[in-house]
Amino acid sequence: MTGETELQKLSSVPSSKPLRILAADDHDILRRGLKQLLTARSGWEICAEAKTGREAVALAEQHKPDIVVMDVSMPDLNGLEAARRIHKVLPKTGIIMLTLHFSDQLVKDIVDSGARAYVMKSDADRDLVNAVEALANNRTFFTARAADMLLNDFTERNSPVTPQPPSPSRLTSREREIVQLLAEGKSSKEVAVALGISVKTAETHRANIMRKLQLHSVSELVRYAIKNQIIEA
Amino acid sequence: MTRVLIVDDHAFIRRGIQAILNSSPEFDFCGEADNGIAAIRLSADLQPDIIVMDVSMPGLNGLEATRVIREANPNIKVLLLTLHESGEILRSAFQVGAQGYLMKSETDHELLRALRMLVAEQVYISPKADAHDAASVLREIPASQ
Repeated sequence: MTGETELQKLSSVPSSKPLRILAADDHDILRRGLKQLLTARSGWEICAEAKTGREAVALAEQHKPDIVVMDVSMPDLNGLEAARRIHKVLPKTGIIMLTLHFSDQLVKDIVDSGARAYVMKSDADRDLVNAVEALANNRTFFTARAADMLLNDFTERNSPVTPQPPSPSRLTSREREIVQLLAEGKSSKEVAVALGISVKTAETHRANIMRKLQLHSVSELVRYAIKNQIIEA
Repeated sequence: MTRVLIVDDHAFIRRGIQAILNSSPEFDFCGEADNGIAAIRLSADLQPDIIVMDVSMPGLNGLEATRVIREANPNIKVLLLTLHESGEILRSAFQVGAQGYLMKSETDHELLRALRMLVAEQVYISPKADAHDAASVLREIPASQ
């Protein structure tokens, strides 16, 4: 005899328990619109809203939503890093990443972050509701183009010798956080103050980042951050 | 009460703007369109006080729709919305007769402030626009706009 939860998953009758969603986007107009789009569905509620990645992590820990809908590009802490942190403490929470642009690397980074869905903002009207439904039913949601890219990447990774380009996933969580702050124009001293660490520690992290990513200047780091959607152009 | 028509090809953006309008008793959402052609038709039918119009739409874009609407209905004010900051779009916005240029990344309070400025017969440029471009455009705007 199956348990109630499995019956609910299989049944076409929706669960009486509301689906609790956290919406995170730094743009008020977009966030309000996402809220309207999602709450139009019976049984779905927005349990919290966040304007920064850091706020999203704090609110996710507080409210323990079923689903997080998160913009990739947000100030303070970007969406990818916020997703990693949320997934670490709330592995059962489904995470959907919203993005303006499609890129192969971004899709890989989204999957590496623990998110299980990727929706372009231009397609949100059509895809976001479907993505939430998929995650609510323990499925993933990727467009055909993203799925093809992931499959090709899996094949390449399993080929005999494949040199790996520098990737944000090779950085520690702290290092990824510092990449964003440096790319936003903060000095090592300002990074130290923002994170509550010593200047020496901030500079050590900075040196490690540059070495790991094979970068030689701040301008290269900024270009890297833009390319990997750590910051917006 | 100021009647506002919303034009954007994305339904969730229109919903977001509508939610912001609903938060203020000064403004009344009177209709919506998802493309420039429909915007032109609805502006003639509904005669809104202000149109909040997205610049980037498939088919007829917001700039061209604004030009047509303003030529046919000079009493209707237009607040153009854009996702990316661009000096070129800023200049074009006022050349086609818009009274305001707002970036979608602005807060909900800024959207309401922009609408209030248009109601007060003032022009509005998003604080996030390049200051040099904004100053240049303001110098060139005719008094009648």
